[in-house]
Amino acid sequence: MEMKSNRKYLWLLGALAVLHAAILLAGFIAPYDEAAQNREMPFSPPMRIHFVDSAGHFHVRPFVYGWKHPQDDFTVYDVDQDQVYPLHFFVPGAPYKLANLFRTNTHFFGVDAPGSIFLFGADQFGRDVFSRTLRGGQISLLAGLLAAGLALTLGTILGGLAGYYGGWWDAILMRGAELFLALPWLYLLFAVRAFLPLQVEPKQAFLLLVAIIGLVGWARPARLIRGVVLSARERDFVRAARGFGASDLYILRRHVLPQAGGVILTQAALLVPQYVLAEITLSFLGLGVGEPVPTWGNMLASLMQVHILESYWWMIAPGVASIPFFLGYMALANALEKRARLAAT
Amino acid sequence: MTYVTRRILHMLFLLFGVSVISFVFISLAPGNYVDEMRLNPQISSETVNALKAQYGLDRSTPVRYWQWLKSLTRGDMGYSFAYNQSATSLIWPRAVNTLLLTVSATILAWLLAIPIGIWSAERRGHFDDRIISAATGSLLAVPDLLVALALLWFAARTHILPTGGMVSLDFDSFSFTGKLKDLAAHLALPVAALALGMAPILVRHVRAAVTEVLRSPFYLAAAGHGIPRSTLLFRYALRAAANPLISLLGFSIGSLLSASMLVEVVLGWPGLGPLLLEAILARDLYVVIGAIMLSTLFLACGSFTADLLLYWQDPRIRTQ
Amino acid sequence: MKPLARIAALFAAAALGLMPLSSHVEPQTSARDAGTEFMVSTGETGRPGGRLVVSLRAEPKTLNPVTFADTSSKLVIWRMMADLIHINRYTQQPEPALAKSWTVSPDGRKYTLKLRHGLRFSDGLPLTADDVVFSFQVYLDESVHAPQRDLLIVAGKPITIRRLDTETVQFELAAPYGPGLRLFDGFAILPRHLLEGPYRAGKFEQVWSPTSPATEIAGAGPFRLKEYVPGQRLVLDRNPFYWKQDQKGTRLPYLNELVFLFIPNEDAQVLRFQSGDIDMISRVSALNFSMLQGKPATAGYNLADAGPSLEWSFLFFNLNDLSKKNLPQIAGKQKWFSNNVFRRAVSLAVDREGIVRLIYQGRATPIWSPVTPGNKQWFDQRLPHPARSLDQARQLLRNAGFSWNSEATLVDAEKQPIEFSIVVSSSNAERSKISTIIQDDLRQLGMRVTVVPLESRALLSRVLDSSDYEACVLGLASGDADPNADSNVWLSDGSTHLWNLHRDSPPSSWEAEIDALMREQLTARTFAERKKAFDRVQELLAENQPVIFLVSPHVLIGVKKELGNFKPAVMDPVDLWNVEEFFWKAR
Repeated sequence: MEMKSNRKYLWLLGALAVLHAAILLAGFIAPYDEAAQNREMPFSPPMRIHFVDSAGHFHVRPFVYGWKHPQDDFTVYDVDQDQVYPLHFFVPGAPYKLANLFRTNTHFFGVDAPGSIFLFGADQFGRDVFSRTLRGGQISLLAGLLAAGLALTLGTILGGLAGYYGGWWDAILMRGAELFLALPWLYLLFAVRAFLPLQVEPKQAFLLLVAIIGLVGWARPARLIRGVVLSARERDFVRAARGFGASDLYILRRHVLPQAGGVILTQAALLVPQYVLAEITLSFLGLGVGEPVPTWGNMLASLMQVHILESYWWMIAPGVASIPFFLGYMALANALEKRARLAAT
Repeated sequence: MTYVTRRILHMLFLLFGVSVISFVFISLAPGNYVDEMRLNPQISSETVNALKAQYGLDRSTPVRYWQWLKSLTRGDMGYSFAYNQSATSLIWPRAVNTLLLTVSATILAWLLAIPIGIWSAERRGHFDDRIISAATGSLLAVPDLLVALALLWFAARTHILPTGGMVSLDFDSFSFTGKLKDLAAHLALPVAALALGMAPILVRHVRAAVTEVLRSPFYLAAAGHGIPRSTLLFRYALRAAANPLISLLGFSIGSLLSASMLVEVVLGWPGLGPLLLEAILARDLYVVIGAIMLSTLFLACGSFTADLLLYWQDPRIRTQ
Repeated sequence: MKPLARIAALFAAAALGLMPLSSHVEPQTSARDAGTEFMVSTGETGRPGGRLVVSLRAEPKTLNPVTFADTSSKLVIWRMMADLIHINRYTQQPEPALAKSWTVSPDGRKYTLKLRHGLRFSDGLPLTADDVVFSFQVYLDESVHAPQRDLLIVAGKPITIRRLDTETVQFELAAPYGPGLRLFDGFAILPRHLLEGPYRAGKFEQVWSPTSPATEIAGAGPFRLKEYVPGQRLVLDRNPFYWKQDQKGTRLPYLNELVFLFIPNEDAQVLRFQSGDIDMISRVSALNFSMLQGKPATAGYNLADAGPSLEWSFLFFNLNDLSKKNLPQIAGKQKWFSNNVFRRAVSLAVDREGIVRLIYQGRATPIWSPVTPGNKQWFDQRLPHPARSLDQARQLLRNAGFSWNSEATLVDAEKQPIEFSIVVSSSNAERSKISTIIQDDLRQLGMRVTVVPLESRALLSRVLDSSDYEACVLGLASGDADPNADSNVWLSDGSTHLWNLHRDSPPSSWEAEIDALMREQLTARTFAERKKAFDRVQELLAENQPVIFLVSPHVLIGVKKELGNFKPAVMDPVDLWNVEEFFWKAR
């Protein structure tokens, strides 16, 4: 039983590591610069990678077909089997910084000009959705993890204090939490955005805003954790520990907070997606990351239009890409909780 | 009794604090109501300034706050610049519509979440638990707005349900049951969109809380006594897992007025959402403040209810 | 229709609950109408009856025709109101409305207007010269804060109005007025019997909210208020006293009801149009329009592209005098912005065709002037349309002392790299996307441009108050085809001279020339003279590029095929301007 759980845990960690490595090495895996526009191919559908050509011959080197526009209507795409573009690997292309460290221009794969390869299709500007999804993950995941970490740390500390000490602590902290939940933060964000100089990089401005959201987001987890701590401190063994003269900090750390572990981890797994998606509302109000920098949030925000749902389904790629990450975090939260419990017994 | 009076004092303090900080935030945010008019080449700046003076937008924030407090004592939450009406008369009818929607959706979400969460905890690690986890995880990864839009698109395609609005145009000519049916049909989409957004979070919390209980000695002992599983789960496990869930219920109640803003906008539900969004963007100061105060009141009531429930439910807390 | 049949139809409609008989007086016999001097519609003869359901993205805030400030209110109010002389939205020319005829004195300062005989407000009471005098008294009253008041100030003096008899009024202007009869468009004639009381009591601004009882509101437009449900809809019903009839003598409007549903979101509007809940959808984005076009489900719809609108989007740089403001970074960049060679190079690099193709899917038109091709009378065809050329742009920059460093970044004579940001309103998806295209175009010239989307009030406060921006993409929609409506944009001391506000005197000779030309067109007596003046303004704008004109989006409307007399215009309201002539063909 324990062996199996441990192996599962390793598998999970391995899978998450691979996913994050793909995001970290986005520049290498992505064939194009995330901002490169191909104005001849707005809303190009995803291209299929072929091994067998139209004549039935098998090729070791995979290839893609080009597009043609029937009746010269640039919004309609048909496969043109006369244009064959074989895939090349480790090809030179747009310069980027590998893992934000090394300057290079080698990309994992690509096709020769004048061909293009759009594995997940292209957006309205003819930009590669595959490349943008990978690059977008960098900012989005960073923002989500950062904000969730901030909110949870503050929430755990303050919720723990309120629940454990009760009385005035509780009254002040919980009324404070209500205040934080009720305030019109959007206006504060408007104000912060207004006071930021225009010269600030859109990415930095965005991370700052997300950090603020995380900082003010402690109220919800704090209230939940307080509920757990409130009942945990009255448990017999906690009372007993107190009777033996254990310090408050010791009791909180050893007996009370582990009780809240389930709630904290569940909250963590829920908050990351919430903060990644928070950008959709932010960009709705002009507080998101500016073009042409991609994030999952602004890519998903642009997808919330009927014509995209109806005609350009491939634009949902960042949404689909984010699901394994979120599921991974949730599974990790579960596994960690289980491990913590096993370690305790 | 003293507890209740203390809580009411807290609530008043909270309302006061929220109103002060809201005024400060809103005055920090750039732009004001008359700015839009200034883009119209046919309106002179003198006219715009006259309007600004009329709305009191040229006065300082403390002065405006003081005047707002004075008008509160007359039972008036201020005046909408855009509508030339009192904010109260704008907010009330819409808040009622919002509540109709959110109360239905919240009830539905809880009714779904409790059995699914308990089932998932009981079947922890099994195939059905995994399916439920994957489904809730995927739903969390999809923005509410997209769910709303997809439902709307589906409705427009299939013609099964009305696509937005609250009642049909000919509502007044329907019989009583016809009216009920019409309202229910119009409620279906927004309620589904909201409940789909709320339920995954609730399911996850119910599952986590119940799992905790299922492993506790008292439960294992009770199970050893051969008490039927459904009684065990719904009578004992749920009760023992109630604490975090009650806090969560407090949030559900507290966010009744604010949860549905964007869904209302997409699905054309005549609630506070569209009004508030427009007011936020137009800097229609007193409408925004009014809506914030009302939702603060709900929030405070929500946490008050949660605390009362906790007190009543958990004897350990009662001993304090 | 025979009178008897009409009464029968009215009763039938009332019995079906379509019309309330209680509050409004109905015209009893046609004998009373005999004296009415109807205006005869030139549209197709249709059939009375039915209702039209349209949607509004925002609720009308007020029904007060004097104080309204938002487009939703305007659209609804003007279905209930009428003016003396009206600009026909299709021909873009003034035509008789409540006034059937007029004379202008030889010096061009006195307008004598003759009202139609037998006019009535929608509550059945007569409309006379007294109502006209009262209305203009209200518009001119400073304490009412009517935004339209400024239009009644000619040569610095308010116009005066005199009642000559019950059906004749005379307006006197301090100076001749170039746009002439267009002056009277947009001033609704108010019922004195309903509004004089509140006006005298100083409560004019509070009257006529959507929640007011329908009996308290009356106008001379084709419809009148029936019902308002907050957040949901506003319903108008037919004004039985309307002063237009068709060629067979049937009184207009044909439709019994006009329903405005409030649907705050464009996508929801599109879906509800597809599912048949609403009969007409206007201001559709080009992408949604293409989507609707490709659908067999919309085969029953007429999707009209009425061509370029009067809206023009443009890029401008911050040319304000920043010496009194603490904005050293922006001030440092103004040496590029104020160089018209730099602006011309930017204009040459912008891929207007690309904007049209990628963002509007072909449903927009590139422009090089504020007068779009949709403006029938004033469009100047001789204006040059320089094609996009990065080479020419580079050449211009090189000649002006700019150069490229080793990283292909454009630098000025002091080796400072050219970097600036473009602010754009985040609520306007199309303009944000235009900025993304411009950003990429200018990157090819070696300029580093960041796009900063801002929420619209935040944007306006930067542009109008703090001047804390470098460049901005904005769109303006001309209220009228006549360029005089946009005077404040071009006059160097105008309140909407966005790129360079609050100048006491024109900063350069060409700007002084524009000021003089704008004043000339305002007082010139003939159209030819005015056109010549404004053509020259456009030439100066093209030469100096104080703003860089981009594209004009097309007017796109979808409507059910069975709607008769539907005739989209490019002047607002593009869809409902002739709603009184709309009718449902047999379906």
